[in-house]
Amino acid sequence: MSAVQARRVAAENLIVVPYRRVSVAALATNTLLILLGCFFLLPMLWMVFASVDSNPDWAIKLPTLTLANFADVLSRADALTSFRSSLILAGTTTVLTTVLALLAAYPLSRMHIPFKRSFMLAILFASGLPVSMLIIPVYQMYVSFGWLDSLYATALFLSASSLPFAIWLMKNFIDAVPVELEQAAAIDGASTFRILRELVLPLTVPGIAVTGIYTFINAWGAFIIPFVLTYSPDNQPGPVEIYNFMGSHGLFKFGDLAVFSLLFSLPVIVLYLFMSRYFSGAFNFGGAVK
Amino acid sequence: MLSEVRFEGVHKIFGTETAVEDLNLTVNAGEFLVLVGPSGCGKTTTLRMLAGLERPSYGRILIGDRLVNNVSPRFRDVAMVFQSYALYPHMNVYDNLAFGMRARGAAGGLIAQQVKETAAVLGLGHLMKRRPSELSGGQRQRVALGRALIRQPQVFLMDEPLSNLDAGLRVQMRAELSRLHERFRVTTLYVTHDQVEAMTMGDRIAVMNSGRLQQVDAPETLYDNPANTFVAGFIGSPRMNFVPGRLTTAQGATAVEFLGVKAPLSSRAKLTADAAEGEVMVGLRPEDLMWRRAAAPESTLTISAEVDVVEPMGHEAYVTAVCAGETVTSRFPPRSGVRTRERIELALNPARLHLFDAHSGTTILQRPAAGGAELPRSVGEARIDEPAEGRSERHRQPQSRGMQSRTEEIS
Amino acid sequence: MSLAVAAGLGPRLDRERFQWSSLLMLSPALALLGVLFVFPVLYAGYLGFTNLALVGSRSRDYEFTGLDNITRMLGDYVFIKSSWLTIIFVVGSAIVGQTVLGMALAILLRNALVSVRVVIGSIVIVAWVLPEITVALVWYAFSQAGGTLSILLRQTDTNFLVTVPMLIVSLANLWRNVAFSMLVFSAGLRNLPTEVLEAAEVEGASAWRRYRLVVLPLLKPTIVTNLLLVTILNLSEFTLIYAMTQGGPGIETMTLPLYVYQEAFVFHQLGYGTAISLVLVLIGAVFSLLFVRASRSQV
Ligand SMILES: Nc1ncnc2c1ncn2[C@@H]1O[C@H](COP(=O)(O)OP(=O)(O)O)[C@@H](O)[C@H]1O
Ligand SMILES: [Mg+2]
Repeated sequence: MSAVQARRVAAENLIVVPYRRVSVAALATNTLLILLGCFFLLPMLWMVFASVDSNPDWAIKLPTLTLANFADVLSRADALTSFRSSLILAGTTTVLTTVLALLAAYPLSRMHIPFKRSFMLAILFASGLPVSMLIIPVYQMYVSFGWLDSLYATALFLSASSLPFAIWLMKNFIDAVPVELEQAAAIDGASTFRILRELVLPLTVPGIAVTGIYTFINAWGAFIIPFVLTYSPDNQPGPVEIYNFMGSHGLFKFGDLAVFSLLFSLPVIVLYLFMSRYFSGAFNFGGAVK
Repeated sequence: MLSEVRFEGVHKIFGTETAVEDLNLTVNAGEFLVLVGPSGCGKTTTLRMLAGLERPSYGRILIGDRLVNNVSPRFRDVAMVFQSYALYPHMNVYDNLAFGMRARGAAGGLIAQQVKETAAVLGLGHLMKRRPSELSGGQRQRVALGRALIRQPQVFLMDEPLSNLDAGLRVQMRAELSRLHERFRVTTLYVTHDQVEAMTMGDRIAVMNSGRLQQVDAPETLYDNPANTFVAGFIGSPRMNFVPGRLTTAQGATAVEFLGVKAPLSSRAKLTADAAEGEVMVGLRPEDLMWRRAAAPESTLTISAEVDVVEPMGHEAYVTAVCAGETVTSRFPPRSGVRTRERIELALNPARLHLFDAHSGTTILQRPAAGGAELPRSVGEARIDEPAEGRSERHRQPQSRGMQSRTEEIS
Repeated sequence: MSLAVAAGLGPRLDRERFQWSSLLMLSPALALLGVLFVFPVLYAGYLGFTNLALVGSRSRDYEFTGLDNITRMLGDYVFIKSSWLTIIFVVGSAIVGQTVLGMALAILLRNALVSVRVVIGSIVIVAWVLPEITVALVWYAFSQAGGTLSILLRQTDTNFLVTVPMLIVSLANLWRNVAFSMLVFSAGLRNLPTEVLEAAEVEGASAWRRYRLVVLPLLKPTIVTNLLLVTILNLSEFTLIYAMTQGGPGIETMTLPLYVYQEAFVFHQLGYGTAISLVLVLIGAVFSLLFVRASRSQV
């Protein structure tokens, strides 16, 4: 076979390889997905358009561009204090929950603990209990402790309610780190503290990040807990403020409302996009509940 | 600083399963002992107990003269190569090697120097900045080895360190490991399920099966005088043939009948006390069962058989033949020309028979005292199918001498 | 080796030892959960049988009232309606809607072009990470008279939150939460051995048969897990519905969590409210048991 022939055969093979049938099924799949995508996009799009529209409406329409809504919201003191409250609330909750979950998940994953299985089942069960049930007794307790209307005390209860799931999530991540690594380090002469610091901690970073961000996203959007446990205007986090805003002048100021929710949503969207590649692994429940 | 290792009556029970049962084993100081057995027989468990990663259910483990049952791995002064390598995935090669020395608080300059030397010995010098995920299997294996070598531990533990490598690399690393042991002479317990690795690397071999130690001996002894049918079948490739036979005594002369022939035992072949007349299991290594036309004169027994399968291997051929209802494998010269269904004659040197109790499977031939040569054994041709390039002859001289002259034994 | 022989060897040397360090690491979490989770749960179990009120004399001098709250519930028209609404909401929006759409999305995305997969997948997930209050707002806008939905359906005078309130809040909830099921099913599909799908393909099974006969049975543990989690999460949904309708119009969307809130913090009946919340837990337990039963019996 001559060189020319050989090249032609190769070329023909090259054409065959990337050839793909555009099947009806593939077309249907992608079209259906795009339609579904519109269903998810349309309501969100209203918020984006209305935020830059000088004369917004309930319906999506091409905006008459303006930044007035943004200027309006950013000049409102209550909008800014609600951001501050949300940051304190979500930040405290996230730090507390993540640290406690990490501390608890490590022994649950690695050490001999009596009744560990029952404990993990109880944890899973607890993460499913409705906040509506807990909030009344907790309200009663906070009244008697004098903890009402404190952001940090509220964060404490938020942490308690997110802790069960956080422990469970974190334990799954630690379980995935091969125990042989720690054993190799122990044979290498490393102390328990060194193993925790130089091995377990760096290898659990994805788990810490996912647990932390998941907790943050939930705490950032938490509504009923701060709604019940705080009352002074300065302590209202974003969701409560937006709710009040909807009630008081939402019907007149669509634009401001849209800007407010948009600004309030941005942090969690950014956080999610930042971490999305770690998130997919966190949903590997498989037959977790047996 | 050579230390011996002793297991005294060690058991390990997981739930209802006994992974290791009543293990009594001594690894001599400076020795390279290979622990071999099929997978799941308790090798890893044994190693992990010695490392301190698993506590024995019963018994005592000693390193040197120190009872280590309750000593944590950190203070046992052993180094271990894991089957999975267990390299620290977030550290580069340098940090992987340096981790142990740092953990033990060595000075920075010393660490740098030691890492450099170890890397040079293992040819890792150019890879220091890479992470384990960026290394090939062979390179990872070297790092795992380096992490153990960089320290001067009392004992090396290796858990199937070569099993993840491809065949070529495995042969090369085998030689390298033997060379390293030659150089540093650290007491080593080496686990493998591969009999070739065991035969080529071990000063002695310990064979395990279902949690029980079967036999501990030098490679040749193990091959020539297997203690039972398990060891006999596990060591050697192709596998030893087992055929049923009968032990008979007439007029003071003992003989074995099998495959339609009768082989008298010579007065020099000593049977153990519990050998009784009646059914026995006869073991025939394929290389002792030769083609009549290619056989040496001392192969005095002739067996007629029908060829079933011929497997040419290049330098030789394995012929599976049926004889008196039993299927046996024998090693033929290459290009013998025999074909399926052809009737052939096989020759056998009665001096090389192995006899086992039909029920318990233990040998009923007396095994030699250490270094002694009381028993029939096969003569020095290559007995394993891979060339023994990694194998050092250092301890074997006494045993491979002095057996040349004995040929007439049994008959 | 028989246990009798083992016994002759004396006590086992490898009995697991409790390490105090594990308790040390667990104790902060245990303390927080003990005070603000376990205690409130037990306390709720007590309060549900009292006449505690938010204000007035009963806020201090409340007493144990036995089964009073239960009898009151059985005669409470709003409670009965509220229970039905809750079940409709959970079955419609979560058990059927979220599971079916989530599975459909997971399967479709798996077979879609990469660009479509990335874009659509991200949009669905963004809907899920948005704060609930934002979702409530955009769906409020979406379903108002003159909102996008009314224009799409050419009924610009209809406020769908008034005409079909339960449907709208269920849709909004589906819209927000479906990403969760989608992620669970995507992970489940990813864990299936690829040969399973390929083998079915080679045998010429149609796509539908392939999924029904091969994939679904293998996904069963994932489906059960998803149903359990989704039911439990949706059963206590409060913010979305409350922000959109406050339970209205009338009591048309007053699911149990909203009714608990209303009884406790609007009508000041903390004791009665707690009793209702216990019913909510009971419903969750019944659903969970049913799923676990169903998953065991069919194997
Ligand atoms: N941690 C454990 N828990 C329960 N059973 C185990 C454990 N480790 C090993 N085994 C069991 O003990 C037996 C011996 O295992 P192992 O020592 O790993 O065998 P090998 O290394 O020879 O393949 C196996 O049957 C295995 O299932
Ligand atoms: Mg093993």
